[in-house]
Amino acid sequence: MNKNNSKEYDVIIIGGGVTGAGTARDCAMRGLSVLLVERHDFATGATGRNHGLLHSGARYAVTDPESASECIKENMTLRRIANHCVEENNGLFVTLPEDDLAFQSQFVDACKTAGIGTEILDPDFARRLEPSVNPNLKGAVKVPDGSVDPFRLTMSNMLDAKIHGAELLTQHEVTDVICEQNRAIGVELFNHAKNEKVKYYAKIIVNAGGIWGHHIASLAGININMFPAKGSLLIFGHRVNKMVLNRCRKPANADILVPGDTICLIGTTSERVPYDQIDNMFVSQADVDVLIREGVKLSPSLATTRILRAYAGVRPLVAADNDPTGRNISRGIVLLDHQERDGLSGFITITGGKLMTYRLMAEEATNLVCKKLAVDKQCETAEKALPGSEKSDLSLDNATDKIYSGMSIAQKSAKDRHGTLAKNIAVGDSNDDSLVCECEGVSIGEVKYAIKELHVNNLIDLRRRTRVGMGTCQGELCACRAAGLLCESLEEPGEAKDDLANFLQERWKGMSPIAWGDTINEVQFTSWIYEGIYGLKPDNN
Amino acid sequence: MKFDNIIIGGGLSGLTCGIKLAELGKKCAIVSSGQSAIHFFSGSLDLLGKVNGEEVSNPLESIKTLADNHPYQRVGIDNMTRLADEVPQFLDRAGLKFSGNANQNHFVLTPMGVMKPTWLTIEDFTRFETKDSFPWKKALIINFSGFLDFHTLFIKDGLKKLDVTTQIKNVSMKQFEAIRKNPSEMRSTNIAKVFDNGDALDEFAQKANDLSEGFDVVILPAVFGLLNKQIVSEIKAKILKPLVLLPAVPPSVPGIRSQILLRKRFQALGGTYFLGDNVEEGFFENNRLVAIATNNHGDIKLKADQFILASGSFYSKGIVATRDKVYEPIFGLDVNGETNGSEWKDEKFFNDQPYMHFGVKTDSQFHAMINGEPVENLFVAGSVLGGANALKEGSGAGISLLTSLHVAEQILK
Ligand SMILES: Cc1cc2nc3c(=O)[nH]c(=O)nc-3n(C[C@H](O)[C@H](O)[C@H](O)COP(=O)(O)OP(=O)(O)OC[C@H]3O[C@@H](n4cnc5c(N)ncnc54)[C@H](O)[C@@H]3O)c2cc1C
Ligand SMILES: Cc1cc2nc3c(=O)[nH]c(=O)nc-3n(C[C@H](O)[C@H](O)[C@H](O)COP(=O)(O)OP(=O)(O)OC[C@H]3O[C@@H](n4cnc5c(N)ncnc54)[C@H](O)[C@@H]3O)c2cc1C
Repeated sequence: MNKNNSKEYDVIIIGGGVTGAGTARDCAMRGLSVLLVERHDFATGATGRNHGLLHSGARYAVTDPESASECIKENMTLRRIANHCVEENNGLFVTLPEDDLAFQSQFVDACKTAGIGTEILDPDFARRLEPSVNPNLKGAVKVPDGSVDPFRLTMSNMLDAKIHGAELLTQHEVTDVICEQNRAIGVELFNHAKNEKVKYYAKIIVNAGGIWGHHIASLAGININMFPAKGSLLIFGHRVNKMVLNRCRKPANADILVPGDTICLIGTTSERVPYDQIDNMFVSQADVDVLIREGVKLSPSLATTRILRAYAGVRPLVAADNDPTGRNISRGIVLLDHQERDGLSGFITITGGKLMTYRLMAEEATNLVCKKLAVDKQCETAEKALPGSEKSDLSLDNATDKIYSGMSIAQKSAKDRHGTLAKNIAVGDSNDDSLVCECEGVSIGEVKYAIKELHVNNLIDLRRRTRVGMGTCQGELCACRAAGLLCESLEEPGEAKDDLANFLQERWKGMSPIAWGDTINEVQFTSWIYEGIYGLKPDNN
Repeated sequence: MKFDNIIIGGGLSGLTCGIKLAELGKKCAIVSSGQSAIHFFSGSLDLLGKVNGEEVSNPLESIKTLADNHPYQRVGIDNMTRLADEVPQFLDRAGLKFSGNANQNHFVLTPMGVMKPTWLTIEDFTRFETKDSFPWKKALIINFSGFLDFHTLFIKDGLKKLDVTTQIKNVSMKQFEAIRKNPSEMRSTNIAKVFDNGDALDEFAQKANDLSEGFDVVILPAVFGLLNKQIVSEIKAKILKPLVLLPAVPPSVPGIRSQILLRKRFQALGGTYFLGDNVEEGFFENNRLVAIATNNHGDIKLKADQFILASGSFYSKGIVATRDKVYEPIFGLDVNGETNGSEWKDEKFFNDQPYMHFGVKTDSQFHAMINGEPVENLFVAGSVLGGANALKEGSGAGISLLTSLHVAEQILK
């Protein structure tokens, strides 16, 4: 036991997804002392395994008006405060030959009620606006959908939390909630990096563990009825569509095609899974088949577009407290005050909701924390831009203009990834500018920045921060270069080799469900390079 | 256009077939669409490194234990023994010096710092007779500043396990400044081009020699002699301490050189090499392939008495997988591996992957088959053949070389 942790925080936040990140930021901005703990790496739960749709709310307008109005409000807020994480693409809700056109007017009315702007388009015009759409569409409605990069969004919230004094720990798993006379007073953690247990104490503990919140609550002796719903998605190797494409019907499987960066994503399936399967997210052949079949209906050219990866995440759905059967699932935000609900003070849970309503969730959770701590400070997260999105900050362009007349590919990519924060990436020296990953334009400078500032512990973390190995080469050679760099700065060589082996395994997990065509060709090549030529084996190191 | 033999694919197999046939007076053409596996070559040709996960010491002996449908079994142990013996001279005639023994694997040090069993190693690299000892105690690893493709710490780590103490030094060379300015140019082939011109070599050797005071051996990335083969012996002569070269991240400098020398040998023997041309389809008559059509030749069909398919595995598109089937794309030949997509692969990346065994089926004389019927004059050689996981076995080049030489002999009979 490490005894050196007698400091008591105002609040400990469990979970390094977007909800935890947003709550850490909000709490820190309101002057609280904050510790955030995450068992793996940031954005490894649902936050790193979703569709990245910046909902306009239209999808929920007919079935869940409350979610719809939350979405449109937050949609507008994120465009302001998280500009570098958002693509303002707009979206179409299309009626295909097999869909009922009558739904369209009901849909448009419901959007109007929720405050979502719509525009009914003539099918011809829609085809011109979005050439990739199924040419047989019967109708189309334009809505203010967009795309949001969950990794970037989470990281800029984390960074801002840090700027406001929060402490962040990755690789720290909560193994127990320490309670004393009906009060949660701290957490026991297992530090995976050092293989040791530590304890930290706080006045309030916030459970922002997504679907794992069920287990975390149980550590405090509390039951939350959670229903894991697995959703699978496919990433395509290039961006087929400019706008988000949705089906104009009640929400169903595989009916959204979201463009982002240079790729697009079709999703999702939805399947209840047993709770003991939530850490075992695989995509089945049947999932792949449904996604392709339905995707091609939205945009026929998907049939011939290369699939890069398949992955699945779990939605944290919560059953209403008065409904033990779990039929009455809420898709909205769930904030539980366990003092009122279960008689345990110092412990609250924030879950449910969506990626894009994280800020509102954080605000509600922080309001409750502040109330309990009798802190009277207004929430400012809806007004203050996130780091990387500050409008007035032109220093990146100025700084780089001094060095180059035009920005290099790596600098442009870095600016896209990190917004104005890219100014912290070293440039101008031939060493820092050298490219580690050619497909994604990741330079040594960016890798070093990520290692130093962005809590990178291994290659997979690095991929989440910089997109190293995310491109079409799928991590063949750049992974090795990046491993070499990690080895110089933070890993023992033996660890770095294991790390490389894990990285390749992790990529394979996403590729094996779709391992045909160019994907299998490249996987075979990668195997020859790493195992054949390098002699890399998972247990060799 | 008419030839005695046409070979589809210009990798190690295709070139081996072509050279062997041309050496014996055949008028041959090779049609090759692109890069081959030799571009990424480690520097060592493997015959058989492992059987059922156990390291093999005598490849020829262990071949007897392989499954009946293994390509080596179809060549036959006597032929294997004889042909394996021929290979070093065969390569030597192309200007490629390899050494090793088919009855006794030796070891090479990989860029991860591990010892790997192999059959023949190109003169650039060092052969080790055992896997658990390194002849020197104090090693100096030298890398070029800004060169990301040589992972010195991995090598150091591997050598530590062999009780070798190592130091790593970086050397800056003004001759590399131009390539370092471009963020993606500092790669092994570009460094090799600078050395090929000769002028940087003396200066580098001088620096290396100064640094190597007090060390027993110098370790460098294999970035010498891309087009100018002499550079390899020159650097070895100029570095005063024993020199161990290790592969850098591919493409491989000795690999590209090998490909070029084999192609030149084929052309010097009168062979015709159609580079960057893709064979699209074949025309059959009575169980014989009479002609092929290629992308660049349009309506002009290429005819020959015998054809050899040496189009490689998945990575060279010699075989192709779609969502629900595996097929041979030029002729629609019979393949093994037409199973359900979900059974192609193991969820663990480093396990023996079923798809690695997939390839074109042949009869016992390496004739291709269509619907179970052998095509009399279409032979199959190299990694397009199914029946083995060459990666797990360490049999990549062995299968390519020996099935190719064997097929050439069948044709010459
Ligand atoms: C397939 C799919 C598609 C989706 N698409 C969209 C979309 O397009 N738009 C949208 O807005 N939303 C979407 N969502 C919803 C969205 O992804 C989630 O609502 C959101 O990411 C939840 O974030 P979170 O931080 O609450 O949970 P998570 O991201 O799951 O974070 C919980 C974190 O807690 C950590 N943790 C767990 N146990 C412990 C422990 N014992 N100790 C420490 N840490 C622990 C986990 O590692 C994890 O990082 C989608 C969800 C899915 C599954
Ligand atoms: C990256 C890599 C590294 C390897 N390294 C080693 C090593 O170091 N040692 C070792 O022993 N083994 C190694 N191997 C194993 C390797 O498979 C064999 O050693 C051997 O080189 C394969 O030769 P091949 O001629 O059968 O196939 P390939 O080298 O794949 O050549 C096939 C050729 O056919 C061409 N082709 C395909 N279709 C057509 C068409 N329709 N028309 C015209 N041309 C066509 C392709 O463009 C290609 O040039 C490696 C394999 C890979 C993939």
